[in-house]
Amino acid sequence: MGPMLEVKGLNKSFGGLRAIRDVDFAVREGEIRGLIGPNGSGKSTFFNLLSGVYAVDSGTVVFDGRDLTNSEPHEVAAAGIARTFQLLRMFTEMTVLENVMIGYHNHVKYGALAGVFGFGRVASEEKIIRDEMMEVLAFIGLEDFASIPASELSIGQRRLLALGRAMAMKPKLLLLDEPAAGLSPVNVDNIMLIILRMKEKFNLTVVIVEHILKVVMETCDRISVLDHGVKIAEGVPSEIRDDEAVVEAYLGREMDDEEVKRAISA
Amino acid sequence: MLTLIDGIEAFIGRLKAIHPLLPWLVALLLLLPVPHFTANNYQVYLINFICIMIILATGLNIVKGFAGQVTVGHVALYAIGAYTSAVLSTKFGMPFYVNLPVSILAAMIFGVLVGLPSFRLEGAYLALATLAFAQAVEVYIRVTNYLGAASGIGGIKPPEFFGFTLRNYDEYYYLVMPIMLLAVYASFAILRSATGRAFMAVREDPISAASMGVNVRRYKLIAFVMSAFYAGLAGSLYAHMLPGYVHPNNFTVIEMVTVLLMVVLGGIGNIWGGIIGAIIVTIVADITREYYFYQLLLFGAVIVGTVLFMPKGIGGIIDRYFVNRRFVAARELTAVAKRGVVGSASREE
Repeated sequence: MGPMLEVKGLNKSFGGLRAIRDVDFAVREGEIRGLIGPNGSGKSTFFNLLSGVYAVDSGTVVFDGRDLTNSEPHEVAAAGIARTFQLLRMFTEMTVLENVMIGYHNHVKYGALAGVFGFGRVASEEKIIRDEMMEVLAFIGLEDFASIPASELSIGQRRLLALGRAMAMKPKLLLLDEPAAGLSPVNVDNIMLIILRMKEKFNLTVVIVEHILKVVMETCDRISVLDHGVKIAEGVPSEIRDDEAVVEAYLGREMDDEEVKRAISA
Repeated sequence: MLTLIDGIEAFIGRLKAIHPLLPWLVALLLLLPVPHFTANNYQVYLINFICIMIILATGLNIVKGFAGQVTVGHVALYAIGAYTSAVLSTKFGMPFYVNLPVSILAAMIFGVLVGLPSFRLEGAYLALATLAFAQAVEVYIRVTNYLGAASGIGGIKPPEFFGFTLRNYDEYYYLVMPIMLLAVYASFAILRSATGRAFMAVREDPISAASMGVNVRRYKLIAFVMSAFYAGLAGSLYAHMLPGYVHPNNFTVIEMVTVLLMVVLGGIGNIWGGIIGAIIVTIVADITREYYFYQLLLFGAVIVGTVLFMPKGIGGIIDRYFVNRRFVAARELTAVAKRGVVGSASREE
């Protein structure tokens, strides 16, 4: 069986900066893939290209046999790809429940103006949506906060809500952009646990961008490494750990005395 | 005061439990005898005018408050609704029940036009683009003889149904009040459905909304066309109200500021607040009509003051009360269940 997500020869430039260069990327169904790289290596840009937030310069994105290259974000979402944002992008003025309900948007059956007849069919469907979304909130442990604006949540709770919103979309593929950023170690473990449970329960395929290497090494089946927009390595965690190019990208290269002298005088 | 709000909320809740439409029916019954409690004809006129302003403000609240699109073109759509009715009535002799839907349709078509710039512009830039549209409409009316130019169009016939004509403000009230109630109900119903949630998501964060499956452009356009529906409705009702006279002075940018004040003072994104705002502002505007210059000064100051000191308006203060109550309740629930750890993977299933 072919890969679920297949990206070929992807390129993206911002002015003179080539943010993504000829990246090939394929994810099998059911896999948890890690995507790592130093700051500014193009991870978030890559996600934005996949989810349609940015237009690609060249290359193709095929998901589930469908060409999604340069699709609009809502089309990508409808195809079954959910994503979260590094900077969360909560709907802060809306309640926690309403936040996850937006995730369900594409599954709502009644029309845009059918709400005028807010009793009867629409009301019964709204009740089903509400119950189902409360289950989502229970899964991430936020059901007590359902009717509170998202602005009142702590950063940890917002990270959980981001997962809940993605879950409500009933996706096949989940793109997580630094799902544990800014959390204390206890909460990092908690959120990774929830991600794994989500994957099991809904049979998801997951791509995680994360800076906490321990998390990526422990959780992911395979890892891809980006540096300056180029994919420099790919493999199982143990291979990545020992890969020279990866170590160099993260820690810099060891230089002998001659090289150091030249670098200082230059 | 707070016990009063609680009491009203509990009462409405009990009515809703019987049937979702019952609270609206009760409101209709309560509003029916209103003209009989007025001191003179002018007060009935003012109440009718308030109903029209409520429709207009509700429409603006949909596009500005819910979908977050800063438009200044709303009064131009109101003008298009009013002038369509005026022309149809005086030049073609068409009856009210034809003019009303045609006026609404005309406003909606121009609503698409006002909405299109929102695909690329936002905030102050969108305001400028729609301001240009509003000014163009006003100037066009002022210089076009067919539209009565600077002297307006008079002699618009009052509505007539099956040979019965609405000859005074009391009779007109029984047309405009139920329509107002229906319009407010419709806005509530739609905004409480998935459509309203999509509007708010577009307002809060369009990129996030799009990534979660909301077609942002589609919902922006729906919001603009919906608000145009309200503007056209209000315009047609205004044109057909006695004395059946429309004048470009009623559709200037200053009028836009007045409608904006209703929504801002009442609370952006809060339908009840917008209604309260429409009532207060219309009455204050009427009282201070003789001091036109100072009225503008007052309105400007109130807008600035509201934005600075209570950005969510009167409605926001009431909302805050309910939110706080729910927040305290949620805290009490969770305080027992857990401490320190966010969420609780252990408590699911």
